[in-house]
Amino acid sequence: MTLARDDAPARAAAGWRFPTAMRPRTLLAWLLLLAAVLVSAPSVEAGRMLRMTGEAASALVAGGDSQVLDGLGAIGRQLVPLQIAERREVSRIEGFNRNHLPPFSHVEVAETRTERLDPETLEMRAVVERTEYLVEPFGYLAHVGVKLWETLMIAFWGTLLAVIMSAPLAFLSARNLTPHPAVYGAARAVVSLLRAVPELVSALFLVVAYGFGPIAGVLALALHGAGFLGKFYAEDVEAADPKPQEALAATGANRLKVLRFAILPQVLPQYIGYTLYVLDRNFRMATVVGLVGAGGIGQELKGRFDMYNYHHVGTILVAMFAAVFLIDQVSARLRRAHF
Amino acid sequence: MSGDPHVAFVGASKRFAEGAQALADVTFHVPRGQFCALVGPSGSGKSTLLRAVNGLTQLSGGEVRVDGVRVDAASLPRIRRKVGMVHQDFGLVSRASVAENMIAGAIAEIPTWRALLGLYPAAHQAKACALLAEVGLAPEHLPRRVSELSGGQRQRVGIARALMLDPEVLVADEPVASLDPRASEEVLDLMRREALARGVTVLCSLHQLDLARRFADRIVALRAGRLMFDGPTDAFDAATEMAIYGPVKESAQ
Repeated sequence: MTLARDDAPARAAAGWRFPTAMRPRTLLAWLLLLAAVLVSAPSVEAGRMLRMTGEAASALVAGGDSQVLDGLGAIGRQLVPLQIAERREVSRIEGFNRNHLPPFSHVEVAETRTERLDPETLEMRAVVERTEYLVEPFGYLAHVGVKLWETLMIAFWGTLLAVIMSAPLAFLSARNLTPHPAVYGAARAVVSLLRAVPELVSALFLVVAYGFGPIAGVLALALHGAGFLGKFYAEDVEAADPKPQEALAATGANRLKVLRFAILPQVLPQYIGYTLYVLDRNFRMATVVGLVGAGGIGQELKGRFDMYNYHHVGTILVAMFAAVFLIDQVSARLRRAHF
Repeated sequence: MSGDPHVAFVGASKRFAEGAQALADVTFHVPRGQFCALVGPSGSGKSTLLRAVNGLTQLSGGEVRVDGVRVDAASLPRIRRKVGMVHQDFGLVSRASVAENMIAGAIAEIPTWRALLGLYPAAHQAKACALLAEVGLAPEHLPRRVSELSGGQRQRVGIARALMLDPEVLVADEPVASLDPRASEEVLDLMRREALARGVTVLCSLHQLDLARRFADRIVALRAGRLMFDGPTDAFDAATEMAIYGPVKESAQ
Protein backbone atom coordinates (compact mmCIF):
# COMPACT_ATOMS: atom_id res chain seq x y z
CA MET A 1 0.00 0.00 0.00
CA THR A 2 1.37 3.40 -0.92
CA LEU A 3 0.44 6.70 0.56
CA ALA A 4 -1.32 9.18 -1.69
CA ARG A 5 0.93 11.69 -3.37
CA ASP A 6 1.02 15.23 -2.06
CA ASP A 7 -0.69 16.79 -5.06
CA ALA A 8 -3.73 14.49 -5.04
CA PRO A 9 -5.44 15.53 -1.76
CA ALA A 10 -4.38 19.15 -2.27
CA ARG A 11 -6.38 19.30 -5.48
CA ALA A 12 -9.38 17.53 -3.95
CA ALA A 13 -9.68 19.99 -1.05
CA ALA A 14 -8.90 23.08 -3.12
CA GLY A 15 -12.36 24.62 -2.69
CA TRP A 16 -12.64 23.72 1.00
CA ARG A 17 -12.64 26.30 3.71
CA PHE A 18 -12.37 25.37 7.36
CA PRO A 19 -14.95 27.40 9.35
CA THR A 20 -13.32 30.12 11.46
CA ALA A 21 -13.99 29.96 15.16
CA MET A 22 -13.86 33.73 15.78
CA ARG A 23 -16.73 35.04 13.72
CA PRO A 24 -18.11 38.59 13.81
CA ARG A 25 -21.02 37.32 15.90
CA THR A 26 -18.68 35.90 18.53
CA LEU A 27 -16.71 39.14 18.63
CA LEU A 28 -19.92 41.13 19.01
CA ALA A 29 -21.00 38.95 21.93
CA TRP A 30 -17.69 39.60 23.70
CA LEU A 31 -17.98 43.34 23.11
CA LEU A 32 -21.55 43.35 24.47
CA LEU A 33 -20.38 41.55 27.60
CA LEU A 34 -17.60 44.10 28.08
CA ALA A 35 -20.08 46.95 27.64
CA ALA A 36 -22.43 45.35 30.18
CA VAL A 37 -19.58 45.14 32.71
CA LEU A 38 -18.59 48.76 32.24
CA VAL A 39 -22.14 50.13 32.33
CA SER A 40 -23.16 48.18 35.42
CA ALA A 41 -19.98 48.74 37.44
CA PRO A 42 -21.06 52.06 39.05
CA SER A 43 -24.36 50.62 40.28
CA VAL A 44 -22.58 48.07 42.44
CA GLU A 45 -19.72 50.39 43.46
CA ALA A 46 -17.30 48.05 41.73
CA GLY A 47 -14.49 50.63 41.98
CA ARG A 48 -14.76 50.99 45.76
CA MET A 49 -15.04 47.23 46.12
CA LEU A 50 -11.79 46.70 44.23
CA ARG A 51 -9.99 49.49 46.07
CA MET A 52 -10.99 48.35 49.56
CA THR A 53 -10.27 44.70 48.83
CA GLY A 54 -6.89 45.70 47.42
CA GLU A 55 -6.14 47.74 50.54
CA ALA A 56 -7.05 44.79 52.73
CA ALA A 57 -4.83 42.48 50.73
CA SER A 58 -1.86 44.86 50.92
CA ALA A 59 -2.43 45.47 54.64
CA LEU A 60 -2.45 41.73 55.16
CA VAL A 61 0.85 41.29 53.33
CA ALA A 62 2.78 44.49 54.08
CA GLY A 63 0.93 45.89 57.07
CA GLY A 64 -0.92 49.19 57.16
CA ASP A 65 -4.45 50.46 57.58
CA SER A 66 -7.52 48.78 56.11
CA GLN A 67 -11.10 49.50 57.00
CA VAL A 68 -12.14 46.04 55.87
CA LEU A 69 -9.61 44.25 58.07
CA ASP A 70 -10.45 46.46 61.06
CA GLY A 71 -14.13 45.64 60.68
CA LEU A 72 -13.59 41.92 60.28
CA GLY A 73 -11.10 41.93 63.16
CA ALA A 74 -13.54 43.68 65.46
CA ILE A 75 -16.20 41.07 64.77
CA GLY A 76 -13.74 38.22 64.98
CA ARG A 77 -12.42 39.33 68.38
CA GLN A 78 -15.94 39.41 69.75
CA LEU A 79 -16.80 35.93 68.51
CA VAL A 80 -14.02 34.25 70.49
CA PRO A 81 -13.83 32.61 72.93
CA LEU A 82 -16.68 30.44 71.77
CA GLN A 83 -19.47 29.89 74.22
CA ILE A 84 -19.40 26.25 75.22
CA ALA A 85 -20.79 26.19 78.72
CA GLU A 86 -24.15 27.32 79.94
CA ARG A 87 -24.57 29.13 83.26
CA ARG A 88 -28.04 29.77 84.52
CA GLU A 89 -29.41 31.17 87.73
CA VAL A 90 -30.95 28.32 89.68
CA SER A 91 -33.85 30.46 90.85
CA ARG A 92 -34.91 30.94 87.27
CA ILE A 93 -34.96 27.25 86.37
CA GLU A 94 -38.38 25.74 86.55
CA GLY A 95 -38.65 22.45 88.41
CA PHE A 96 -35.02 22.54 89.57
CA ASN A 97 -34.13 19.43 91.52
CA ARG A 98 -30.99 19.72 93.59
CA ASN A 99 -30.68 15.96 94.01
CA HIS A 100 -31.01 15.27 90.33
CA LEU A 101 -28.69 17.53 88.38
CA PRO A 102 -28.19 17.16 84.62
CA PRO A 103 -25.07 15.13 83.70
CA PHE A 104 -21.66 16.79 84.11
CA SER A 105 -23.18 19.83 85.77
CA HIS A 106 -22.60 21.38 89.14
CA VAL A 107 -24.02 24.20 91.20
CA GLU A 108 -21.84 27.24 91.69
CA VAL A 109 -22.35 29.83 94.37
CA ALA A 110 -21.41 33.36 93.64
CA GLU A 111 -21.15 35.91 96.37
CA THR A 112 -21.59 39.53 95.53
CA ARG A 113 -20.87 42.23 98.04
CA THR A 114 -22.95 45.30 97.77
CA GLU A 115 -23.36 48.37 99.94
CA ARG A 116 -26.89 48.84 100.95
CA LEU A 117 -28.72 51.41 102.98
CA ASP A 118 -29.96 50.06 106.27
CA PRO A 119 -33.47 51.44 106.70
CA GLU A 120 -33.19 51.42 110.53
CA THR A 121 -29.81 52.97 111.07
CA LEU A 122 -29.76 54.91 107.82
CA GLU A 123 -26.19 53.83 107.32
CA MET A 124 -24.55 52.10 104.41
CA ARG A 125 -23.81 48.47 105.20
CA ALA A 126 -21.97 45.84 103.28
CA VAL A 127 -24.26 42.98 102.34
CA VAL A 128 -23.19 39.68 100.85
CA GLU A 129 -25.64 38.26 98.37
CA ARG A 130 -25.44 34.62 97.46
CA THR A 131 -26.63 33.57 94.06
CA GLU A 132 -26.68 29.96 92.95
CA TYR A 133 -25.86 29.09 89.37
CA LEU A 134 -26.27 25.82 87.58
CA VAL A 135 -23.20 25.34 85.40
CA GLU A 136 -23.30 22.86 82.56
CA PRO A 137 -19.80 22.71 81.03
CA PHE A 138 -21.11 21.71 77.58
CA GLY A 139 -24.60 23.07 78.01
CA TYR A 140 -24.61 25.61 75.24
CA LEU A 141 -22.88 23.27 72.80
CA ALA A 142 -25.58 20.68 73.49
CA HIS A 143 -28.25 23.32 72.96
CA VAL A 144 -26.72 24.26 69.60
CA GLY A 145 -26.61 20.56 68.73
CA VAL A 146 -30.31 20.23 69.45
CA LYS A 147 -31.04 23.28 67.29
CA LEU A 148 -28.86 21.92 64.48
CA TRP A 149 -30.74 18.64 64.64
CA GLU A 150 -34.01 20.55 64.41
CA THR A 151 -32.64 22.41 61.37
CA LEU A 152 -31.64 19.13 59.76
CA MET A 153 -35.14 17.78 60.33
CA ILE A 154 -36.63 20.92 58.80
CA ALA A 155 -34.43 20.41 55.75
CA PHE A 156 -35.32 16.73 55.55
CA TRP A 157 -39.05 17.35 55.77
CA GLY A 158 -38.84 20.26 53.36
CA THR A 159 -37.12 17.99 50.86
CA LEU A 160 -39.52 15.11 51.46
CA LEU A 161 -42.57 17.30 50.84
CA ALA A 162 -40.85 18.89 47.83
CA VAL A 163 -40.31 15.47 46.24
CA ILE A 164 -43.91 14.46 46.91
CA MET A 165 -45.28 17.68 45.44
CA SER A 166 -42.94 17.80 42.46
CA ALA A 167 -43.61 14.25 41.20
CA PRO A 168 -47.08 14.97 39.83
CA LEU A 169 -45.98 18.44 38.68
CA ALA A 170 -43.11 16.93 36.70
CA PHE A 171 -45.44 14.36 35.17
CA LEU A 172 -47.87 17.05 34.04
CA SER A 173 -45.25 19.51 32.87
CA ALA A 174 -43.23 17.08 30.74
CA ARG A 175 -44.15 17.55 27.10
CA ASN A 176 -44.14 13.84 26.34
CA LEU A 177 -46.31 12.76 29.27
CA THR A 178 -48.77 15.57 29.82
CA PRO A 179 -52.37 14.59 29.11
CA HIS A 180 -53.22 17.92 27.45
CA PRO A 181 -51.34 21.04 26.25
CA ALA A 182 -53.45 23.22 28.56
CA VAL A 183 -52.48 21.07 31.55
CA TYR A 184 -48.87 21.34 30.42
CA GLY A 185 -49.07 25.14 30.36
CA ALA A 186 -50.76 25.31 33.76
CA ALA A 187 -48.26 22.91 35.36
CA ARG A 188 -45.33 24.85 33.91
CA ALA A 189 -46.78 28.08 35.30
CA VAL A 190 -47.16 26.57 38.78
CA VAL A 191 -43.58 25.27 38.67
CA SER A 192 -42.25 28.69 37.63
CA LEU A 193 -44.27 30.44 40.31
CA LEU A 194 -43.00 28.10 43.03
CA ARG A 195 -39.44 28.64 41.90
CA ALA A 196 -39.85 32.39 41.57
CA VAL A 197 -40.69 32.94 45.24
CA PRO A 198 -37.56 32.72 47.39
CA GLU A 199 -37.72 30.65 50.57
CA LEU A 200 -37.08 33.68 52.74
CA VAL A 201 -40.05 35.53 51.31
CA SER A 202 -42.51 32.68 51.60
CA ALA A 203 -41.18 31.99 55.11
CA LEU A 204 -42.05 35.56 56.11
CA PHE A 205 -45.66 34.97 55.13
CA LEU A 206 -45.80 31.43 56.48
CA VAL A 207 -44.51 32.58 59.88
CA VAL A 208 -47.48 34.94 60.02
CA ALA A 209 -49.83 32.13 59.00
CA TYR A 210 -48.46 29.26 61.11
CA GLY A 211 -46.65 31.12 63.86
CA PHE A 212 -42.99 30.94 64.89
CA GLY A 213 -41.40 27.53 64.63
CA PRO A 214 -40.42 24.79 62.24
CA ILE A 215 -43.73 24.43 60.36
CA ALA A 216 -43.20 27.67 58.44
CA GLY A 217 -39.64 26.63 57.65
CA VAL A 218 -40.62 23.18 56.38
CA LEU A 219 -43.35 24.56 54.15
CA ALA A 220 -41.21 27.40 52.77
CA LEU A 221 -38.46 24.97 51.81
CA ALA A 222 -40.95 22.48 50.39
CA LEU A 223 -42.63 25.03 48.11
CA HIS A 224 -39.41 26.31 46.60
CA GLY A 225 -37.91 22.82 46.37
CA ALA A 226 -41.00 21.53 44.56
CA GLY A 227 -40.59 24.22 41.93
CA PHE A 228 -36.93 23.41 41.47
CA LEU A 229 -37.38 19.64 41.35
CA GLY A 230 -40.50 19.87 39.18
CA LYS A 231 -38.56 21.75 36.53
CA PHE A 232 -35.55 19.45 36.53
CA TYR A 233 -37.50 16.20 36.80
CA ALA A 234 -39.65 17.28 33.85
CA GLU A 235 -36.67 18.22 31.72
CA ASP A 236 -35.07 14.84 32.32
CA VAL A 237 -38.26 13.03 31.46
CA GLU A 238 -38.40 15.00 28.21
CA ALA A 239 -34.78 14.19 27.41
CA ALA A 240 -35.12 10.45 28.10
CA ASP A 241 -34.30 8.14 25.19
CA PRO A 242 -37.62 7.60 23.35
CA LYS A 243 -36.67 4.23 21.82
CA PRO A 244 -37.28 2.07 24.91
CA GLN A 245 -40.53 3.98 25.44
CA GLU A 246 -41.67 3.15 21.94
CA ALA A 247 -40.56 -0.45 22.37
CA LEU A 248 -42.77 -0.80 25.44
CA ALA A 249 -45.68 1.01 23.86
CA ALA A 250 -45.38 -1.51 21.01
CA THR A 251 -46.08 -4.35 23.44
CA GLY A 252 -49.32 -2.67 24.45
CA ALA A 253 -48.12 -1.27 27.79
CA ASN A 254 -50.05 1.74 29.12
CA ARG A 255 -48.50 5.12 29.92
CA LEU A 256 -47.98 4.46 33.59
CA LYS A 257 -46.10 1.26 32.85
CA VAL A 258 -44.02 2.95 30.17
CA LEU A 259 -43.18 5.64 32.73
CA ARG A 260 -42.13 3.06 35.30
CA PHE A 261 -40.21 0.67 33.02
CA ALA A 262 -38.81 2.81 30.21
CA ILE A 263 -38.45 6.33 31.67
CA LEU A 264 -37.83 5.92 35.39
CA PRO A 265 -34.77 3.66 35.07
CA GLN A 266 -33.23 6.22 32.72
CA VAL A 267 -33.81 9.28 34.89
CA LEU A 268 -33.47 7.81 38.38
CA PRO A 269 -29.74 8.56 38.87
CA GLN A 270 -30.23 12.21 37.95
CA TYR A 271 -33.30 12.37 40.21
CA ILE A 272 -31.27 11.13 43.13
CA GLY A 273 -28.61 13.71 42.31
CA TYR A 274 -31.12 16.59 42.21
CA THR A 275 -32.81 15.43 45.37
CA LEU A 276 -29.51 15.26 47.25
CA TYR A 277 -28.65 18.72 45.99
CA VAL A 278 -31.97 20.06 47.23
CA LEU A 279 -31.43 18.41 50.62
CA ASP A 280 -27.99 19.98 50.83
CA ARG A 281 -29.31 23.38 49.81
CA ASN A 282 -32.32 23.07 52.11
CA PHE A 283 -30.07 22.57 55.09
CA ARG A 284 -28.31 25.85 54.38
CA MET A 285 -31.58 27.60 53.58
CA ALA A 286 -33.18 26.21 56.75
CA THR A 287 -30.75 28.30 58.77
CA VAL A 288 -31.63 31.36 56.71
CA VAL A 289 -35.40 30.98 57.05
CA GLY A 290 -34.76 30.54 60.77
CA LEU A 291 -33.70 34.19 60.83
CA VAL A 292 -37.30 35.23 60.24
CA GLY A 293 -38.51 32.93 62.99
CA ALA A 294 -39.06 29.70 61.11
CA GLY A 295 -37.34 27.50 63.68
CA GLY A 296 -34.00 25.79 63.98
CA ILE A 297 -30.49 27.15 64.42
CA GLY A 298 -31.27 30.30 62.42
CA GLN A 299 -33.81 31.43 64.96
CA GLU A 300 -31.26 30.86 67.73
CA LEU A 301 -28.64 32.79 65.75
CA LYS A 302 -30.94 35.75 65.25
CA GLY A 303 -31.88 35.81 68.92
CA ARG A 304 -28.27 35.73 70.12
CA PHE A 305 -27.21 38.31 67.59
CA ASP A 306 -29.94 40.69 68.71
CA MET A 307 -28.89 40.21 72.34
CA TYR A 308 -25.24 40.97 71.44
CA ASN A 309 -24.20 37.49 72.65
CA TYR A 310 -21.37 37.30 70.16
CA HIS A 311 -19.63 34.37 71.85
CA HIS A 312 -22.79 32.38 71.35
CA VAL A 313 -22.94 33.56 67.73
CA GLY A 314 -19.39 32.29 67.27
CA THR A 315 -20.32 28.84 68.52
CA ILE A 316 -23.33 28.74 66.22
CA LEU A 317 -21.28 29.73 63.18
CA VAL A 318 -18.61 27.13 63.85
CA ALA A 319 -21.24 24.45 64.43
CA MET A 320 -23.04 25.38 61.23
CA PHE A 321 -19.84 25.24 59.24
CA ALA A 322 -19.02 21.83 60.66
CA ALA A 323 -22.50 20.54 59.89
CA VAL A 324 -22.49 21.77 56.29
CA PHE A 325 -19.06 20.29 55.75
CA LEU A 326 -20.21 16.97 57.13
CA ILE A 327 -23.32 16.93 54.98
CA ASP A 328 -21.26 17.75 51.89
CA GLN A 329 -19.08 14.74 52.59
CA VAL A 330 -22.01 12.42 53.11
CA SER A 331 -23.92 13.55 50.04
CA ALA A 332 -20.82 13.37 47.84
CA ARG A 333 -20.32 9.81 49.02
CA LEU A 334 -23.97 8.92 48.38
CA ARG A 335 -23.78 10.36 44.89
CA ARG A 336 -20.61 8.49 44.04
CA ALA A 337 -22.14 5.27 45.31
CA HIS A 338 -25.05 5.68 42.96
CA PHE A 339 -23.60 6.72 39.64
CA MET B 1 -46.42 -23.98 5.22
CA SER B 2 -49.94 -23.02 4.32
CA GLY B 3 -50.91 -20.14 2.10
CA ASP B 4 -53.15 -18.71 4.80
CA PRO B 5 -52.40 -14.96 4.81
CA HIS B 6 -51.19 -14.07 8.30
CA VAL B 7 -50.07 -10.51 7.73
CA ALA B 8 -51.60 -8.78 4.73
CA PHE B 9 -50.86 -5.34 3.30
CA VAL B 10 -53.61 -4.07 1.06
CA GLY B 11 -52.79 -0.93 -0.89
CA ALA B 12 -50.74 0.33 2.02
CA SER B 13 -49.78 4.00 1.52
CA LYS B 14 -48.19 6.56 3.76
CA ARG B 15 -47.64 10.20 3.11
CA PHE B 16 -45.96 12.12 5.92
CA ALA B 17 -47.16 15.55 6.97
CA GLU B 18 -44.06 17.07 5.36
CA GLY B 19 -45.29 15.65 2.07
CA ALA B 20 -42.82 12.81 1.65
CA GLN B 21 -44.37 9.69 0.19
CA ALA B 22 -43.00 6.80 2.26
CA LEU B 23 -45.26 4.06 0.92
CA ALA B 24 -47.26 3.92 -2.28
CA ASP B 25 -49.92 1.27 -2.72
CA VAL B 26 -48.01 -1.69 -1.34
CA THR B 27 -49.93 -4.96 -1.53
CA PHE B 28 -48.65 -8.38 -0.49
CA HIS B 29 -49.28 -10.92 2.20
CA VAL B 30 -47.14 -13.14 4.33
CA PRO B 31 -48.37 -16.65 5.10
CA ARG B 32 -48.22 -18.06 8.61
CA GLY B 33 -44.79 -19.24 9.66
CA GLN B 34 -42.86 -17.61 6.82
CA PHE B 35 -39.59 -15.71 7.30
CA CYS B 36 -39.98 -12.76 4.98
CA ALA B 37 -37.08 -10.37 4.44
CA LEU B 38 -37.78 -6.79 3.47
CA VAL B 39 -34.96 -5.14 1.53
CA GLY B 40 -34.40 -1.86 -0.28
CA PRO B 41 -32.23 1.25 -0.09
CA SER B 42 -32.36 3.65 2.86
CA GLY B 43 -35.59 5.61 2.85
CA SER B 44 -37.44 3.08 0.71
CA GLY B 45 -40.20 2.68 3.31
CA LYS B 46 -39.17 -0.59 4.99
CA SER B 47 -39.47 0.81 8.53
CA THR B 48 -42.75 2.54 7.80
CA LEU B 49 -44.24 -0.68 6.50
CA LEU B 50 -43.09 -2.67 9.54
CA ARG B 51 -44.27 -0.01 11.99
CA ALA B 52 -47.71 -0.06 10.39
CA VAL B 53 -48.14 -3.67 11.55
CA ASN B 54 -48.26 -2.72 15.25
CA GLY B 55 -49.62 0.76 14.78
CA LEU B 56 -46.45 2.72 15.62
CA THR B 57 -47.11 4.43 12.30
CA GLN B 58 -50.60 5.00 10.95
CA LEU B 59 -51.15 4.46 7.25
CA SER B 60 -52.67 7.29 5.29
CA GLY B 61 -54.21 4.87 2.81
CA GLY B 62 -54.94 1.17 2.50
CA GLU B 63 -54.72 -1.21 5.44
CA VAL B 64 -52.79 -3.90 7.24
CA ARG B 65 -54.50 -7.03 8.44
CA VAL B 66 -53.12 -9.35 11.05
CA ASP B 67 -54.90 -12.70 11.11
CA GLY B 68 -57.71 -11.12 9.15
CA VAL B 69 -58.19 -8.26 11.63
CA ARG B 70 -57.66 -4.73 10.35
CA VAL B 71 -55.10 -2.77 12.38
CA ASP B 72 -56.86 0.30 13.76
CA ALA B 73 -57.29 2.14 17.05
CA ALA B 74 -59.90 -0.34 18.27
CA SER B 75 -57.99 -3.52 17.47
CA LEU B 76 -54.56 -2.15 18.37
CA PRO B 77 -54.38 -3.29 22.01
CA ARG B 78 -55.04 -6.90 21.01
CA ILE B 79 -52.82 -6.76 17.95
CA ARG B 80 -49.89 -5.30 19.86
CA ARG B 81 -49.86 -8.33 22.15
CA LYS B 82 -49.82 -10.65 19.18
CA VAL B 83 -47.01 -8.81 17.39
CA GLY B 84 -43.57 -8.85 18.95
CA MET B 85 -41.01 -6.32 17.80
CA VAL B 86 -37.23 -6.43 17.56
CA HIS B 87 -35.59 -3.03 17.17
CA GLN B 88 -32.52 -1.78 15.35
CA ASP B 89 -31.02 -0.18 18.46
CA PHE B 90 -32.51 -2.88 20.68
CA GLY B 91 -35.04 -0.59 22.39
CA LEU B 92 -33.74 -1.70 25.78
CA VAL B 93 -33.17 0.51 28.80
CA SER B 94 -29.41 0.24 29.03
CA ARG B 95 -29.30 1.40 32.66
CA ALA B 96 -31.76 -1.25 33.78
CA SER B 97 -30.91 -4.88 34.41
CA VAL B 98 -31.52 -7.63 31.90
CA ALA B 99 -34.18 -9.00 34.27
CA GLU B 100 -36.08 -5.68 34.39
CA ASN B 101 -35.94 -5.38 30.61
CA MET B 102 -37.30 -8.89 30.21
CA ILE B 103 -40.21 -8.25 32.58
CA ALA B 104 -40.86 -5.01 30.68
CA GLY B 105 -41.60 -7.16 27.62
CA ALA B 106 -44.56 -8.74 29.40
CA ILE B 107 -45.59 -5.70 31.38
CA ALA B 108 -48.74 -5.19 29.31
CA GLU B 109 -50.02 -8.44 30.79
CA ILE B 110 -49.05 -7.77 34.41
CA PRO B 111 -51.54 -5.90 36.63
CA THR B 112 -50.46 -2.30 37.15
CA TRP B 113 -50.18 -2.54 40.95
CA ARG B 114 -47.93 -5.57 40.70
CA ALA B 115 -45.84 -3.84 38.04
CA LEU B 116 -45.41 -0.71 40.15
CA LEU B 117 -44.58 -2.61 43.34
CA GLY B 118 -42.14 -4.89 41.53
CA LEU B 119 -44.10 -8.00 42.56
CA TYR B 120 -43.84 -9.75 39.22
CA PRO B 121 -45.81 -12.99 38.82
CA ALA B 122 -43.68 -16.11 39.24
CA ALA B 123 -44.82 -17.40 35.86
CA HIS B 124 -43.37 -14.32 34.12
CA GLN B 125 -40.14 -14.54 36.05
CA ALA B 126 -39.76 -18.20 35.09
CA LYS B 127 -40.56 -17.40 31.49
CA ALA B 128 -37.95 -14.64 31.36
CA CYS B 129 -35.33 -17.08 32.66
CA ALA B 130 -36.34 -19.80 30.21
CA LEU B 131 -36.24 -17.44 27.24
CA LEU B 132 -32.87 -16.00 28.19
CA ALA B 133 -31.48 -19.50 28.47
CA GLU B 134 -32.94 -20.27 25.06
CA VAL B 135 -31.25 -17.31 23.38
CA GLY B 136 -27.94 -18.27 24.94
CA LEU B 137 -27.49 -16.03 27.96
CA ALA B 138 -26.29 -17.23 31.34
CA PRO B 139 -27.94 -16.83 34.76
CA GLU B 140 -25.28 -14.32 35.82
CA HIS B 141 -26.50 -11.96 33.09
CA LEU B 142 -29.88 -11.49 34.82
CA PRO B 143 -28.86 -8.79 37.33
CA ARG B 144 -26.41 -7.11 34.92
CA ARG B 145 -27.16 -3.83 33.27
CA VAL B 146 -27.84 -4.01 29.56
CA SER B 147 -25.04 -1.47 29.05
CA GLU B 148 -22.56 -4.12 30.18
CA LEU B 149 -23.58 -6.56 27.43
CA SER B 150 -22.12 -6.82 23.93
CA GLY B 151 -24.21 -5.78 20.94
CA GLY B 152 -24.98 -9.37 20.05
CA GLN B 153 -26.05 -10.16 23.60
CA ARG B 154 -28.25 -7.07 23.68
CA GLN B 155 -30.10 -8.14 20.57
CA ARG B 156 -30.48 -11.63 22.04
CA VAL B 157 -32.18 -9.98 25.01
CA GLY B 158 -34.22 -7.94 22.53
CA ILE B 159 -35.44 -11.12 20.83
CA ALA B 160 -36.13 -12.85 24.14
CA ARG B 161 -38.11 -9.82 25.30
CA ALA B 162 -40.15 -9.83 22.09
CA LEU B 163 -41.08 -13.46 22.81
CA MET B 164 -42.32 -12.75 26.36
CA LEU B 165 -45.92 -12.37 25.22
CA ASP B 166 -45.85 -15.44 22.92
CA PRO B 167 -46.36 -13.41 19.75
CA GLU B 168 -47.68 -14.92 16.53
CA VAL B 169 -45.84 -12.37 14.45
CA LEU B 170 -42.34 -11.02 14.90
CA VAL B 171 -41.56 -7.68 13.31
CA ALA B 172 -37.85 -6.91 13.14
CA ASP B 173 -36.73 -3.47 12.00
CA GLU B 174 -33.07 -3.77 10.87
CA PRO B 175 -32.31 -6.06 13.82
CA VAL B 176 -28.64 -6.45 12.87
CA ALA B 177 -27.84 -2.98 11.53
CA SER B 178 -25.74 -2.08 14.56
CA LEU B 179 -23.99 -5.45 14.89
CA ASP B 180 -20.76 -6.78 13.46
CA PRO B 181 -21.02 -9.44 10.69
CA ARG B 182 -20.47 -12.39 12.98
CA ALA B 183 -23.01 -11.25 15.58
CA SER B 184 -25.43 -10.42 12.75
CA GLU B 185 -25.34 -13.99 11.51
CA GLU B 186 -25.76 -15.39 14.99
CA VAL B 187 -28.71 -13.14 15.75
CA LEU B 188 -30.48 -13.91 12.46
CA ASP B 189 -29.84 -17.60 12.93
CA LEU B 190 -31.32 -17.39 16.40
CA MET B 191 -34.35 -15.47 15.18
CA ARG B 192 -34.96 -18.02 12.44
CA ARG B 193 -34.67 -20.96 14.81
CA GLU B 194 -36.98 -19.41 17.40
CA ALA B 195 -39.53 -18.52 14.74
CA LEU B 196 -39.44 -21.99 13.26
CA ALA B 197 -39.82 -23.67 16.64
CA ARG B 198 -42.86 -21.55 17.50
CA GLY B 199 -44.42 -21.24 14.06
CA VAL B 200 -44.04 -17.47 14.27
CA THR B 201 -44.35 -15.38 11.15
CA VAL B 202 -41.35 -13.05 10.71
CA LEU B 203 -41.17 -9.79 8.83
CA CYS B 204 -37.60 -8.58 8.94
CA SER B 205 -36.02 -5.62 7.20
CA LEU B 206 -32.36 -5.99 6.31
CA HIS B 207 -29.86 -3.98 4.41
CA GLN B 208 -27.40 -6.80 3.84
CA LEU B 209 -28.66 -8.73 0.83
CA ASP B 210 -26.41 -11.69 1.46
CA LEU B 211 -28.01 -12.15 4.89
CA ALA B 212 -31.49 -11.84 3.39
CA ARG B 213 -30.62 -14.53 0.84
CA ARG B 214 -29.25 -16.85 3.48
CA PHE B 215 -31.89 -16.58 6.19
CA ALA B 216 -35.18 -15.68 4.54
CA ASP B 217 -37.77 -17.85 2.80
CA ARG B 218 -38.83 -14.95 0.69
CA ILE B 219 -37.66 -11.48 -0.22
CA VAL B 220 -39.83 -8.42 -0.70
CA ALA B 221 -38.02 -5.38 -2.10
CA LEU B 222 -39.10 -1.77 -1.92
CA ARG B 223 -37.79 1.27 -3.67
CA ALA B 224 -39.10 4.77 -2.97
CA GLY B 225 -42.14 3.27 -1.25
CA ARG B 226 -43.11 0.97 -4.13
CA LEU B 227 -43.07 -2.79 -4.20
CA MET B 228 -40.37 -3.73 -6.73
CA PHE B 229 -39.87 -7.42 -6.15
CA ASP B 230 -41.64 -10.20 -4.34
CA GLY B 231 -40.47 -13.75 -4.65
CA PRO B 232 -38.48 -16.65 -3.27
CA THR B 233 -34.94 -16.00 -2.16
CA ASP B 234 -33.20 -17.59 -5.13
CA ALA B 235 -35.21 -15.51 -7.61
CA PHE B 236 -33.61 -12.36 -6.28
CA ASP B 237 -30.72 -12.23 -8.74
CA ALA B 238 -28.07 -9.68 -9.68
CA ALA B 239 -30.31 -8.04 -12.27
CA THR B 240 -33.08 -7.52 -9.70
CA GLU B 241 -30.57 -6.12 -7.27
CA MET B 242 -29.40 -3.64 -9.88
CA ALA B 243 -32.98 -2.59 -10.62
CA ILE B 244 -33.68 -1.89 -6.96
CA TYR B 245 -30.47 -0.38 -5.70
CA GLY B 246 -29.39 1.19 -8.98
CA PRO B 247 -25.80 1.41 -10.14
CA VAL B 248 -23.23 2.29 -7.52
CA LYS B 249 -22.81 6.00 -7.96
CA GLU B 250 -19.35 7.46 -8.26
CA SER B 251 -20.09 10.50 -6.11
CA ALA B 252 -21.58 8.54 -3.21
CA GLN B 253 -19.17 8.40 -0.33
